[in-house]
Amino acid sequence: MNSNNQKIIINIGDINDPKWKIGFKNKLKMLRSNNLEIDSENIDLSCKDISEIIEIVNQYDCKITGFCSSSPKTIVSSQSLGYKSQFSIENNSKNTSDANKKNLTFSKTHFHQGTVRSGEYLESPGNLLILGDVNPGAKVSAEGNIIIWGKLLGIAHAGTKGNSKATISALQLRPVQLRIAKKIARGPKEKPQLGHAEQAKIDSEEIIITPLLTTQFNS
Amino acid sequence: MATDTRVILICSGKGGVGKTTLTANLGISLARQGLTTAVLDADFGLRNLDLLLGLENRIVYTAQEVLEEECRLDQALVKHKQESNLSLLPAGNPRMLDWLKPDDMKRIVDMLKEQFNYVLIDCPAGVEDGFKNAMAASQEAIVVTNPEVSAVRDADRVIGLLNTNSIKPVQLVLNRVRPKMMANQEMLSINDVTDILALPLLGLVLEDEQIIVSTNRGEPLTLNSVNSPAAKCYLNIAKRLQGEDIPLIDPLKESSGFGAKFRRLMQTKIF
Repeated sequence: MNSNNQKIIINIGDINDPKWKIGFKNKLKMLRSNNLEIDSENIDLSCKDISEIIEIVNQYDCKITGFCSSSPKTIVSSQSLGYKSQFSIENNSKNTSDANKKNLTFSKTHFHQGTVRSGEYLESPGNLLILGDVNPGAKVSAEGNIIIWGKLLGIAHAGTKGNSKATISALQLRPVQLRIAKKIARGPKEKPQLGHAEQAKIDSEEIIITPLLTTQFNS
Repeated sequence: MATDTRVILICSGKGGVGKTTLTANLGISLARQGLTTAVLDADFGLRNLDLLLGLENRIVYTAQEVLEEECRLDQALVKHKQESNLSLLPAGNPRMLDWLKPDDMKRIVDMLKEQFNYVLIDCPAGVEDGFKNAMAASQEAIVVTNPEVSAVRDADRVIGLLNTNSIKPVQLVLNRVRPKMMANQEMLSINDVTDILALPLLGLVLEDEQIIVSTNRGEPLTLNSVNSPAAKCYLNIAKRLQGEDIPLIDPLKESSGFGAKFRRLMQTKIF
């Protein structure tokens, strides 16, 4: 048994069933003293639900190392309780992560709607599309590209697995820090012009910011 | 009795931005409009809502004794001297810091709901247990912030937490606005703040030296309806909470001309 990275899957609908705890406890009995990563699939878990899960897990001497889920609500809730959380994509993401490196445009994109606020952290194994602002103090990262339909005022990290072709685009690019693959850059000091979307990418070993031209996508 | 009680959490994340002052003044303003209002001091480790309301010497019991059935709720509720519609309930004893659990909070608020139109919860600073307890029983929230980067950052964090706990609606009060500094762009503007926090603005409160005087005396500004700029702002906020459509004051207009002169006059009048 792989004791470091056991995954427990709570199935959809179980949380609404009053008996889900029993099933969950039975699973825990078999895995005593392990580090767990909880995969809650697409179920929305509130902070309260997660606290309950943590309590149960603690009873069985297990430790939660992180959460993964395809529900943004669950991700944000577990984030706010201080757990490492990752967006999962519902299909098997292992195959797509190889494809990511070859062709970014065909990889999965995770979509988040709403403001990402200070202290929150979004992570995606594919691309990340955010409809809303990324506020100062928030962090977003993706293995692929990051596109923000709003202001980027926090930290963004594209190409987390080393893809240096990844880009970060936003309607207003005023980040605290930008990271692409292994390069790190501080955000620009001067305010950008309003009404011009911009893109950050790596050009000759430096992160540069250029106006976002839609014609680039046609080629 | 009251079926549609509104339970409002007043929080900020950062300390010292004016949560307690807002709670006290909003409590008085609502009570003056004839609404029965309870203010619950959830910041019981460092409680001072009682000081602001001038009720410190009348506290005998706290919510803790009510829950442990050592006294009845009406024994623990402290009625305000002048404004009989307003009652204060301290959540606990400053010496016993970790007795309160989110469920206790819910039980207290459920009891208060039976008697009051409004329950205002004064939340402690920070985002740790005290905040979580205070949040547990709330339906809606008012986030208080100052036009400073650090206060806005903390408010943003708190709003994120409120959202994940499905507290709606969350409204914003921008406190300690200094019109002159805002006009000279030395302070974050209203737009800067609302841009980041993306919340509906419930009201502005102008910086007012009389707040210090009123705090020290234990008489909230709104109680004596003096013509202080902050008192007017608090009253407007209370009215807007009730659904009245009152335009926001324009701090740029306040910084020059009649408003400022009038305010200086008022400030010299006190003492």
